[in-house]
Amino acid sequence: MDSMAETQTYRNYRVLIVDDDNDVLSLLSAWLTQAGFEVVTAKSGEDAIAKIAGTNPKLVITDLYMDGMSGMQLLSEIHKNNPLFPVIMLSGQAQIPDAIKATHLGCSAFLTKPVERDDLVNQVKHVLRLTRDTESDDSFAKNIVYRSKQMADLLESARAVADSNVTVYISGATGTGKEIIAKAIHEASSRRDHSFIAVNCGAIPEQLLESELFGHEKGAFTGANTRHEGLFQAANGGTLFLDEIGDMPLSLQVKLLRVLQDLEVRPVGSVKTFPVNVRIISATHKDLDKAVKAGEFRVDLFYRLKVVPLHMPALAERCDDIPVLAEHFLEKYAKQNNKKKKHFAPDAMDYLISSSWPGNIRQLINVIDLCATLCKTNTISLSLVKTALQDEPREIQTLKQTKDACEKNYLMSVLRITSGHVANAAHIAGRNRTEFYKLLGQHNLDPAQFRFKKES
Amino acid sequence: MSQDKIIVHIDRDLEDLIPVFMENRRKDVENLKSAVIASDYNTLRSIGHNLKGVGGGYGFAWITDLGADIEAAAKVNDIKTITELIDSYADYLGRVEVVYQ
Repeated sequence: MDSMAETQTYRNYRVLIVDDDNDVLSLLSAWLTQAGFEVVTAKSGEDAIAKIAGTNPKLVITDLYMDGMSGMQLLSEIHKNNPLFPVIMLSGQAQIPDAIKATHLGCSAFLTKPVERDDLVNQVKHVLRLTRDTESDDSFAKNIVYRSKQMADLLESARAVADSNVTVYISGATGTGKEIIAKAIHEASSRRDHSFIAVNCGAIPEQLLESELFGHEKGAFTGANTRHEGLFQAANGGTLFLDEIGDMPLSLQVKLLRVLQDLEVRPVGSVKTFPVNVRIISATHKDLDKAVKAGEFRVDLFYRLKVVPLHMPALAERCDDIPVLAEHFLEKYAKQNNKKKKHFAPDAMDYLISSSWPGNIRQLINVIDLCATLCKTNTISLSLVKTALQDEPREIQTLKQTKDACEKNYLMSVLRITSGHVANAAHIAGRNRTEFYKLLGQHNLDPAQFRFKKES
Repeated sequence: MSQDKIIVHIDRDLEDLIPVFMENRRKDVENLKSAVIASDYNTLRSIGHNLKGVGGGYGFAWITDLGADIEAAAKVNDIKTITELIDSYADYLGRVEVVYQ
């Protein structure tokens, strides 16, 4: 049984239960309420559609067979607007074809009645990613808080390359957590028992950056009073994370390229070279393709660094993660300050989710710390969140923008599944090829890119 | 039929729901009997199906089993078995005693 602290954690997760049997509705509602969720009920598929629009649940649990709109029809209706919306199907007559069809339509789980309380609660937590997925190798992401598909896909790619020496390149806006991913890759690699050293190439003046990376001999320049081995040697056997690599001056890019080619460094002022065995992970918020075209970044270094590219999504692109991130940072604040953990009111959380977060996770942490500090009660109100965000330019996505983003995610998913085969992708999406090409054009999606990714 | 009480242990968390649940179960008996008179096998199957799906969750595993039996009998239009099951159901409801734990 969850502790009280864990029970409170789910208060911001609203679950809609749909069943035309009052006894089932009452029972499941009681179970999930006792487990700490906020519960809304509907007695039919039609009623559920109205309730979804009005209450914005995070998950729908629906009976399969109901008079009027069936659970399957409800699932299809929900996924028209949001293909990733989690739906759990319940059925008293479990037929494998039903389960397969429901899964094919995007159902998150299929449970047979009479359902057991623990099975239902555990499945809800699993679908909402409130518990660890024991089927996946979760040790890789143990320090990473997420539940969105974007992060799941990213971590899957990162895990795949972790235990190798291949050079990894992470792109993404400032404050998205690129270093966290780099660290996770290091921890999952055979180099985990050696150093992970991070250096911000944009934060160190050019004159010092060379010395910092490659080392210097005593007396090599004014102020070099001692020998300094440099970060490449310090990271020997381990991983060197070159953050904001896009800010590295061209003169140093040449030297870095030589180190990566020869696997040895020559400290400033030294006539000797030293072999290094370092795995390089680099990251930048800049568009390095553009920087290369503009002559600001060397193309040969670019290809040497970008062997495996990963992209860290902006926080606004993975808004599904905001509730779990918020809970995580509230917990952290409470522990660090030896205070009782606070919670966001449902409308305050909705406001957090719909904000644009130009500063990404770093900004989220600042806002949460400010709210936790200023809040005099246990519940952080919408007005306090607005106050905390008031200095930031705030753009709430319109409904069209949200729909467009979901539609694009869906198109990318089907293109990935079909390896860019437009006819198959159109078939899955339930559109003819002409319509499907039109949709791809609207979202600037090139199916050829998905064929390339699959083959590589 | 025996007059012995049938003790059923129910989770105390469900105490508030049990009175309505039991009232609905008593209504089931009436609805089943009406459906038998009308030879309405669809209704008999539906009630059996619902009982199968909900009984165990409340702590009444016997009701789940009964529901499954009624549903199965209704699928093959076995009115004799259904009638016997309804009698068992009425007897059960008359003797069941809930103990919360």
